Amino acid sequence: MTTKAEFLERIRDQMRTTPGLFPASAARRPEHPAAEAETIRRELVERWPETLKTFRLEFERVGGVFHRVASLDAVPAVVGLLAHEREARELVTWHSAALGADLSQALEACGLAVHQMPAGEVVGTERERLRAIAARADLGLTGVDLAIAETGTLVLVSGAGRPRSTSLLPACHIAVFDRTALVESLRQVGVILEAWHEAGAPATGAAINFITGPSRTADIELTLTRGVHGPKEVHAIFVEQDIRG
Amino acid sequence: MSDDVLAVPFRQRAGSAMKDAFLQEALTIATTKFIGLRREAFEDFPEGETLRNRARAIKEATLQRLDHHLETLIGNVERLGGHVHYAATSEEARSIIVDIARRTGARMAVKSKSMATEEIHLNEALERAGITPVETDLGEYIIQLAHERPSHIIAPAIHKTKAQVAALFGRELKRPVEADPEVLTRIARGELREKFLQADLGITGANFAVADTGTVVLVTNEGNGRMVTSLPRVHVAVMGVEKVVPSLTDLMVFLAILAKSATGQKLSVYTSLVGGPRRPGELEGPEEFHLVLLDGGRIAQLGGPLREALSCLRCGACLNVCPVYRQIGGHAYGHTYPGPIGILLTAMLEGAPAVKDLAHASTLCGACAEACPVRIDIPRMLIELRREVDDTKIAPWAERVAFKLLARLLRHPGLYRLAARAGRVLQRPFATEGTVSRLPFFFDEWTRTRDLPAVAARTFQERWASEKDLRP
Amino acid sequence: MTGRRRASLMVTCLGDLFFPEVGVSIVRLLRTLDVPVDVPPGQTCCGLPLFNSGYHTEAAAVARRTVSLFADSEHVVVPSGSCAWMIKHEYPGLLSGKGLAREAGELAARTHEFSQFLVKVLGVTELGSTVAGRVTYHDSCHLLRGLHESQSPRTLLGGLRGVELVDLPGADECCGFGGSFAVRLPEVSSQILAKKLANVEGTGASCLVACDAGCLMQMRGGLTRRKSRVRALHLAELLDGDRR
Repeated sequence: MTTKAEFLERIRDQMRTTPGLFPASAARRPEHPAAEAETIRRELVERWPETLKTFRLEFERVGGVFHRVASLDAVPAVVGLLAHEREARELVTWHSAALGADLSQALEACGLAVHQMPAGEVVGTERERLRAIAARADLGLTGVDLAIAETGTLVLVSGAGRPRSTSLLPACHIAVFDRTALVESLRQVGVILEAWHEAGAPATGAAINFITGPSRTADIELTLTRGVHGPKEVHAIFVEQDIRG
Repeated sequence: MSDDVLAVPFRQRAGSAMKDAFLQEALTIATTKFIGLRREAFEDFPEGETLRNRARAIKEATLQRLDHHLETLIGNVERLGGHVHYAATSEEARSIIVDIARRTGARMAVKSKSMATEEIHLNEALERAGITPVETDLGEYIIQLAHERPSHIIAPAIHKTKAQVAALFGRELKRPVEADPEVLTRIARGELREKFLQADLGITGANFAVADTGTVVLVTNEGNGRMVTSLPRVHVAVMGVEKVVPSLTDLMVFLAILAKSATGQKLSVYTSLVGGPRRPGELEGPEEFHLVLLDGGRIAQLGGPLREALSCLRCGACLNVCPVYRQIGGHAYGHTYPGPIGILLTAMLEGAPAVKDLAHASTLCGACAEACPVRIDIPRMLIELRREVDDTKIAPWAERVAFKLLARLLRHPGLYRLAARAGRVLQRPFATEGTVSRLPFFFDEWTRTRDLPAVAARTFQERWASEKDLRP
Repeated sequence: MTGRRRASLMVTCLGDLFFPEVGVSIVRLLRTLDVPVDVPPGQTCCGLPLFNSGYHTEAAAVARRTVSLFADSEHVVVPSGSCAWMIKHEYPGLLSGKGLAREAGELAARTHEFSQFLVKVLGVTELGSTVAGRVTYHDSCHLLRGLHESQSPRTLLGGLRGVELVDLPGADECCGFGGSFAVRLPEVSSQILAKKLANVEGTGASCLVACDAGCLMQMRGGLTRRKSRVRALHLAELLDGDRR
């Protein structure tokens, strides 16, 4: 079996034979990502209505359904209505700490069986049980770490209490966010990701998922169909009042 | 590619493809659609040209420090708790992956779409080892059922009609299935959901790997990439060494242009950055993560004539615009990677002799280079391959003699004029009013389907020499 | 006011042997524009067929000959985009090994495809000719993508009185010639051509214009074979039209 040393040496041997095709450099990384990210955030605070408008346009363009409510209190009603329309009975949700509030009771009051994902380490058969719940749930409720206006994308970081399956297994994914999640462009996302990385991760989980609309394919005769493996529907509920204070 | 496919000469394979009415219609519809989508996406995107230049530069810059970036990547993957393996050849890669599967007791592996795993013929090796590979990308699932190879880099089953897909599903499920894409998608969702939940092993490729963070990046529209990297206990990612990018900032440049080039989307539905095994407290994510770095002929091109081809993002844009691909589809190429970039990759992975015919499967029109998000000069390298085929005498003897003769003719105006006069004489039985519609022997390759102008009664230079009204 | 420009015509092998009327039209047009034309004797070919098939040593020998043939030319005018491209883009690299890089570079700078010479060097957009009927234009690959030229031919066509210029769907798509490709893979070449000609006939044009002898050979060959009423002409022939 080839060792790391052998492999890299073969590469170096080849590299020694040529300077390359033309002078080139990689992208300039931000020198102080955290500071730059903070600057971006401050600037965006001013522009959030414009950013939201663009987000909505792009999100709907990729097949997302946009909702807007005044405060978190109004979210369960929206979810309840979606559930009712779809004859949905079971909902899985991120842990309240990850969502920013505990909506379980209000959601149950809408007639849903609500399964909140645990915040801590999960042992043994509990993992299987929770997976089975997520797999049969009709609705998955999550928060949003970043909402990218340029592309209508929701960025979700995985972790304890914020599992990947909540936005992946149920046929209907509902994401709740406020203006603090809004960013304008992929370029800005790059800065923020660099800042997260510099700060050590994201520490919470191993996966960062960019979600741009519902699951789709055009593999059969280039006919577009939705809900191949991931959700058939993605809903984004924008909350006017900041979720965390 | 299987030997019996390659036993049929390329020209014949191309001919058969053009007689397949289903394929022809599918190709026209699909490529025309993709071309339109890509065009719209870039029309709407003024920064596109600048980003393409930057993407091209980042790829070249990365190759210039490839050892460094790979070492950084390896260090970070290991820091996150992952394992890195080094495969010089396809055989080694298969061996590494089968070992991991055996050691972890995997009986079934779910696979996200990966051309790298197609390239190394992984599925057959897994099956031989008693492990069931299940393709989960809808297109790959379809061709797996059909026992075929992908015919397009991003839309593997584009050559299949919905009726053909329904027949395949029907055979698999042992019941009649409606030929409706919605119905077929629902069936695939149901069938494969079970597999995702049961599988022990998830195998993917990698669109990119970010050296700075040790993250592997997967781009899909269906969500199978997320399933495969979240649900099974073990995740193996197979990646060509050239896929490494230095930083997250670099990654954003590629993300901005990849989906646009491939399907016209601003971003594919799912872009997942996965960094090693799951963290403490995470409900999903693998317990073990393995990155298999694949050479397979790539490293030799760092200093070779096909170096530029290492920048390929596997977007498929060049296939869609290629006049040859558009007539013959992917299977006729006979190798894992079809289309313009496919010819270069085949040469890279299998050597110049493998492309002695394919190197000429191009009019050198340049549409591929124009569509390529990283501006790979494919025509230039096709000409280089032709040169290699000539220089190493793989090209047929008769052809080499003919070209050497032509060269002599073109260096000696006396011989050139003689040839013109000879042409005039020889064409007499075949020429009518300045047009030739039938010629014997090899020359009928032209005249079978097209007329040819006759060699002029007087060439321009003859007229210039003698006609008083032309002279100054 | 700059002095009169002098042009040397590089007639090209296909032009010389099969389309001499194109060379004649160019000479007449340039004289109308008060541009003296000469034709350095002993021309054969720019070497592109050798180059494209990978015979680079042979192509370089032909290139070297061409460079010396046109050493004294002020402007070299070429009726085919592919030949102009060969000289401008590939000659310097081909001849660098032979110590002729400078000469090749100089020739490249003085060489122009015909429509580019008229519009970009001479600043001509109208030739005062009249053409009746519907005309459509095919972008030859080397002119379009190699020399980044799509506008000059259209400008000149637009300057024709009486002409109805219609867009050709897929004008930027290859005609299927590709040099030796046309006889190596004739079935593929012919199918590409068939699609091109279907688009041409769909425009209702009576005349198809191109700026490359290879494309014209391919497209005219297909049109006459199917007894189409569409005539395929070189741009120079159309511009010269009413003087015949």
